[in-house]
Amino acid sequence: MYKRILITLNLIILLGSSFKEPLTIYNVQKGLVSFRSDAPLELINPISNELRGIVETQKKEFAFSINIKSFSGFNSAIQKEHFNENYLESNKYPTATFIGKIIEDIDFTKNTIVSVRAKGILTIHGVPQERIIKSELTIRNGVISIRSNFTVLLEDHNIPIPKVVHEKLASEIKVEVNGELKPK
Amino acid sequence: MIKSLGILVLSLFIHGICIAQDTSDITKMLEAEIKLAEKNKTEYITATFKTTRLVNGHSLENTAKHVLDVKISHRFGTIIGATGGAYNIFGLDNATMRLGFDYGITNTLMIGIGRSTDYKTFDGFFKWKILRQSKGKISMPVTLSYVPTISYETLNPSDSVLLLDLKRYPSHRLNYSNQLIIGRKFSDGLSLQLMPTIVHRNFPHDDGPHDIYALGLGGRQKLGKRTSFNVEYYYQLQSNRVPGSHDALSIGFDIETGGHVFQLHMTNSQGMTETKFVPGSLNSWGKGEILFGFNISRVFNVGKKH
Repeated sequence: MYKRILITLNLIILLGSSFKEPLTIYNVQKGLVSFRSDAPLELINPISNELRGIVETQKKEFAFSINIKSFSGFNSAIQKEHFNENYLESNKYPTATFIGKIIEDIDFTKNTIVSVRAKGILTIHGVPQERIIKSELTIRNGVISIRSNFTVLLEDHNIPIPKVVHEKLASEIKVEVNGELKPK
Repeated sequence: MIKSLGILVLSLFIHGICIAQDTSDITKMLEAEIKLAEKNKTEYITATFKTTRLVNGHSLENTAKHVLDVKISHRFGTIIGATGGAYNIFGLDNATMRLGFDYGITNTLMIGIGRSTDYKTFDGFFKWKILRQSKGKISMPVTLSYVPTISYETLNPSDSVLLLDLKRYPSHRLNYSNQLIIGRKFSDGLSLQLMPTIVHRNFPHDDGPHDIYALGLGGRQKLGKRTSFNVEYYYQLQSNRVPGSHDALSIGFDIETGGHVFQLHMTNSQGMTETKFVPGSLNSWGKGEILFGFNISRVFNVGKKH
């Protein structure tokens, strides 16, 4: 009798692990990342359209990544070179990532506009920082649009500013992310 | 009974593993997606050298599109020896200079003009990147550039003791150089290049041949984010070399500050164009006949955003 119960329990547990609900994966179809350094003497405002990202709606997990070398729109070619070579060291740290979980519960099947907080690890220049970033989600007919503005302190990510460019480079960089995600 | 309990515990354990694996799933998926994207994209290698010159000669770098690079270069007299010593303040009295303007027409084609004090010479060149080192969809191990140079000496024969008795046709004042640069950025810090060069001189001022064949070797090792150590050597082939000359050997440092690159070097050659330094110099490193020189490069943006 006991044996039977145990075997049944076993089966239930094993079935439970194999018959989990399938992952509901959305991935970025179109994505833009831009940043803005507003210093007294210079405004630098490059942009990249190479945002990659995945959102799993069951567990509300996400992972986003941007190719550092893909930024363009610098004020000069040499500025772009210095950005890659001296500041972000993009050969060593080719991507910036944000990986974590959405705090709020959202019904991804309904058309809605919600403000959510995303808690995760933001890694730039190889330096991870735990961050809670506010984003606006627009869900329409199974398409998720994400819009997010946040600031990054260069100091937090171990990016020193040489004295000679103090007037040309802001210590606080404003970042804007726009992404459109569709089910995979 | 015990056996079944054991299996139960094992099942729970397997179940646990299945759950634990899930959290890293999407990170892995993202990594796979990035790798796929990288494969389908060509990434050109940049910043192989800090500027378009190594020391005297060209590096494989071009000025970017619509960028003007103003170069002011000086070579002094030898630190010791005939043009050096304390009397000549270690060569500073015997300065020669070149003023140059380089401009990027596209990212693979640049042009440049210059004027050197030595023989009051004008020079002009273009540099065309035929192949660009890249990875990803198109994988190219090296960069290949072609640099032809022409120079024209405008010195009046009456101003020169050497040329006083010579009848000079305009064509006598012309010298040419054709150079290929094959180079590769091996790592963030190390870049190397080979520069096979042919110099043709219409009217040599030495006993050497009209045509000089040389093989240049050059490279840099970064010392920090903004500094590098450079070496440049032009070996003249034995069959066509200037008798009694010493091959041009130079070492130098690049120091980069914002839009400027300062290049400080020690060399045995006073010439700053291929037609002058590839045929070697009478100064010998072995005898300590080296001289100090510098290039200052300042870039100006002429075009739009990059």
